[in-house]
Amino acid sequence: MDTRTTPPGRRLLAAAALLSIAAAACVAPPDLDNAPGVVRAGLYTEPQSLSLLGKNDRNSGIVARLVTDSVVQYDARLELQPMLATSWEVSPDGRTVTFELRDGVRWHDGAPVTARDVVFTVEKSREPATEANSFLSGFQDLVRVEALDDLTVRAEYSKPYADFLEAWTVPIIPEHLAGRDPDLLKSEFSRRPVGCGPFRFVRHEPGQEIVLEANDDYWGGKPAVEGVTLQVVPDERTAYQGLLRGDLHLLSVPPDIWAEAEATPEADRLGRLLFFRLNVWYVAWNQDGSHEAFTDPRVRRAMLLALDREPFIEKVLGGLGKAAATTYHPDSVWADPGIAPLPYDPAEASRLLDEAGWRYPDGGSVRERRSRPLEFTLLTPTSRQEISGRIAAWIQQSLAEIGVRLEIETLEFGAFLERRRSGQFEALMASLTFTPIPDQYELYHTSAAEDGFNFFSFSDPEVDRLLERGRQTFDRAEREAVYHRLQRRLEELQPLSCLFHFASPVLHDPRLRGLQPSPIDMWRITPGPRAWSWEESGPGP
Amino acid sequence: MNGPAIGRPARRIGTGLLTLLLVTWVVFLLSHLVPGDAVSVGSGEESIGQRIPPERLTELRALYHLDEPVARQYGMWLRDIVRGDLGRSFHDGRPVSEKLGERLGITLTLNALSLALMIALAVPLGAAAALWPGSRSDRWTGAATYALYAVPVFWAGLLLQIVFSVRLEWLPLYGLESPEARALEMLPRIADRGAHLVLPVLCLSYGGIAYLSRFVRANLTESLHGDAVRAARARGLSLGRLLFGHAFRQASVPMLTLAGFLLPGLVGGSVIVETVFALPGLGRLFVDAVFQRDVPVIMGLTLLSGTATLAGIVSADLLYAVLDPRVRRG
Amino acid sequence: MARTGSLLAGAALLLGLAGVALAAPLLATDQPWLARGPQGLVSPAIDSLVGRRPSSRAAETAVLRAPIPYAPGRVELEDIRKPPSKAHWLGTDGLGRDVAARVVHGGRVSLTVGLLAALAALCVGLPVGAAAGYRGGWTDAAISRVVEAVLCFPALLLALVVLAMAPGWLAGLPDVLRIALVLGVTGWIPVARYLRGEFLRIRGSDMVSAARASGAGHVRVIVRHILPSALAPVLVTAAFAVGAAVLMEAALSFLGLGVRPPTPTWGGMLTEGKTHVMSAWWLALFPGIALFLAVLGCNLLGEGIRDRLDPRTRS
Repeated sequence: MDTRTTPPGRRLLAAAALLSIAAAACVAPPDLDNAPGVVRAGLYTEPQSLSLLGKNDRNSGIVARLVTDSVVQYDARLELQPMLATSWEVSPDGRTVTFELRDGVRWHDGAPVTARDVVFTVEKSREPATEANSFLSGFQDLVRVEALDDLTVRAEYSKPYADFLEAWTVPIIPEHLAGRDPDLLKSEFSRRPVGCGPFRFVRHEPGQEIVLEANDDYWGGKPAVEGVTLQVVPDERTAYQGLLRGDLHLLSVPPDIWAEAEATPEADRLGRLLFFRLNVWYVAWNQDGSHEAFTDPRVRRAMLLALDREPFIEKVLGGLGKAAATTYHPDSVWADPGIAPLPYDPAEASRLLDEAGWRYPDGGSVRERRSRPLEFTLLTPTSRQEISGRIAAWIQQSLAEIGVRLEIETLEFGAFLERRRSGQFEALMASLTFTPIPDQYELYHTSAAEDGFNFFSFSDPEVDRLLERGRQTFDRAEREAVYHRLQRRLEELQPLSCLFHFASPVLHDPRLRGLQPSPIDMWRITPGPRAWSWEESGPGP
Repeated sequence: MNGPAIGRPARRIGTGLLTLLLVTWVVFLLSHLVPGDAVSVGSGEESIGQRIPPERLTELRALYHLDEPVARQYGMWLRDIVRGDLGRSFHDGRPVSEKLGERLGITLTLNALSLALMIALAVPLGAAAALWPGSRSDRWTGAATYALYAVPVFWAGLLLQIVFSVRLEWLPLYGLESPEARALEMLPRIADRGAHLVLPVLCLSYGGIAYLSRFVRANLTESLHGDAVRAARARGLSLGRLLFGHAFRQASVPMLTLAGFLLPGLVGGSVIVETVFALPGLGRLFVDAVFQRDVPVIMGLTLLSGTATLAGIVSADLLYAVLDPRVRRG
Repeated sequence: MARTGSLLAGAALLLGLAGVALAAPLLATDQPWLARGPQGLVSPAIDSLVGRRPSSRAAETAVLRAPIPYAPGRVELEDIRKPPSKAHWLGTDGLGRDVAARVVHGGRVSLTVGLLAALAALCVGLPVGAAAGYRGGWTDAAISRVVEAVLCFPALLLALVVLAMAPGWLAGLPDVLRIALVLGVTGWIPVARYLRGEFLRIRGSDMVSAARASGAGHVRVIVRHILPSALAPVLVTAAFAVGAAVLMEAALSFLGLGVRPPTPTWGGMLTEGKTHVMSAWWLALFPGIALFLAVLGCNLLGEGIRDRLDPRTRS
């Protein structure tokens, strides 16, 4: 080839090659030897709002808890602890509560935190435009909230509600800053939030990261880490690689990646944390009468008996789950310890189905009753976790073995929600998260079929009665008795077949200490991240 | 694709705008016909004990005007557009123009660089193959480019990540820049960004390299060995010069075609690469917006890609006329 | 000989893959090919193929098993993610399902999607491109406007809506048809463009001019002169379109929009396998190879046809 006239394409190529080599040389891989002061955690989606109060998706909640405090907060054992409040008193009729606030707490800009800020926050959270979705139902019956003086807040409700205190985990925002714009979500404050929490907001690179630094003047003591950076990495595998390389220090991982980490030697040095969150993976049977099989509790029970959950948990979930009995998580204080998950008993399942009238026709493999075959469609939403597809396939095969045929239909999440809301399904499978309160009125009460979450049209008078009583009983021992009774009744009737409780695996840099597993998660509890620390730096991994 | 309207760019632009309007209307309709809306989809998480009471849902819908007739909502959107306001995202309330702006640069850079790489590699490859058709190098390049073309993009991304980031540690794994990049001076910072773009650009371009190089080869084979060439060589033009001058001219037609495809693909085309390499680009924004029923963002992106497409088509038409004499006659 | 070489190689690859895909229900099944029944030899495999319920005791009395004696959907929790072995030639996946069986059955879906999508794209693109190229003038201009509108439309939205949300009547269609529909509706433009160019060229050729000059009607001209010349480009386009559609299905699976589980498809298996690429490499390698071979075959075939039949590239 004539070298005097190298085509420009070739020259471009050479230049590009040189440039990328030069660039690579400028970027050293992260230094793993010296312990960094900042904790870099990976998030899969970006927080919807940095206003601390609005939207309330999980990741926004994480930012809110780091940047500001609330009146009370859950600890690792799911007990509500005083935070901005030092004490509180409930009136004898159960309708009024008075909080005494802590003195000397300051906002990150130096102004003092007062009762007016608390009142402002509560009232703001009730405005529709704020979209403080998580706290709307908790403050639903609130009639009035007022600041009696700088450090005292009184709230009055229209009727007593035993779990009223949970709504007071709302993150408190400063009136003098957040009150400037009427629309909180679009305000200047939502771009640069200011709180009174253990970490101060530094900056936000949209789509990439949120940088927070430790608050030296925090009333509970300065955090032991220098700061927290939340990095948005949408792909799980990429995030995991980031953890291996040291770009990230903390990551929640799906079970598959946890299993992979167990199998790869490079991941041996990583710290591992396993805890169970308050979630339930369930199958809901539509009991509105459209499918005759599911109104019979024997059929619902038989379906669950046909699933051999222990080997599935061990082999497919890699041990990252437990069989569930009811929607009361065994790790919460309200669970009835006497209730165990249903065993694997296909013989009993067959017997129940026979008893309910569903029998095998001659030479057939699918049961029938009055010439109608026992078949249905299981609706599931597409999810980030492909485990959902595998659970569905496993259920399909397990039920085929007792003569039930099922089709799997997968729908995009929004479309799935619509189908569920309108009751257009036979059975569906999804996951539910709970808060620590024992009240599940919205899920099981007959009235909740209209305006609550009872989308599967379940109705039982005894369950209704127990739910109503539970809401209004303040005495702890009495409440426990009521909810234990409720769980036994639910276990009998199986309106929702609770399959699993999933564990949340977390992988982290081994030098990061102080992580507390809890059924909520390790971010939104007290002391939470402010108790994290770095081990003294030593020889690298 | 062009009729007798090349010489009247004003009319072209006019019909283009009408087309754009039609497309935005169809997209708006489609976004509202799908089940669910921004309020019902919410944040995708469901927690008992923290659910929104139904009356509040209605209030929220009213806030976003989601309870009004579709045509009315479209009218409101149109009115805002005319005033230059792209509206605010339903998802996080930020201005749509801001969300688009942040990501436009990245997607544009990604696509522009990969186009450049495609041309830089494919034209010489195709030309070399055309020079010696049937030779071993021709067959090998052919086989290699076809092999490349058959590899799915996310698979290639994964492999590249494993080889270059994890095993060799030559290049960064994901993202736009390293965590420490902020503290760097301007030049090293640009180099850092460049390093982060190497793998994604490679990923985006390898498929196009195959297509383009074969196209170039196909177009050149005939002309390089025909009478025109013999005449040119007789006139004393060196082979290199001929190749360069001719190759580029011939390649310009498929290049324009490719560029024409690139623009509509601006929004959707790099979704996979953006996901695998965690780059905050327009493709990812679009997918998320659809799942979140974030109508203002969907509309903003449609407007952007529609405008870019039309601009691309119209300019390509004008350039075709300049470069390809057959068309001028036609 | 490179020309015929690609043609033959491509055709061979595709025919091989298609053959395997067609034979999948017999090639990979847990029903034995031959078993001893009460009245002599029976074939449970053929029984289940034609819909007769095979005897449940077939497994014990098997005389001859299928080469891949597993059903693609059979969950076996004992054998999760086992590497390739004598029992499972290509290993097992995250539910203990045999990878070889899934690759073989996956071929049916992936290739069907590819073929149907290419067919859909051709059905739309061929008449449009032909009309634009042959008639020119206003028809061409009108079609250009339509093409512009379609190009401006975000295809991703259409894909997401049709595939993920399936509103109304669309929900009744099987996944494969829906994907083919989306790919066809979004993929016809390159087909139309290419064919338009070809029809323009053919229309201007001497042969056609002569025919028209001698007074032949449009239809006659089309049938006798244009179609034979256009056959090659159509075949070329079809070949490339199939390859592109197969790749697109894999990409759609990655985004969660492909054929839904538990039906095996190559793209779906690749997506499932990407998480374990370090520890369970066989999960993604084999469907990846299958995908690669299919697309390669299509491209080689297309290129081969083009080289062979297209007069411009003959040197």
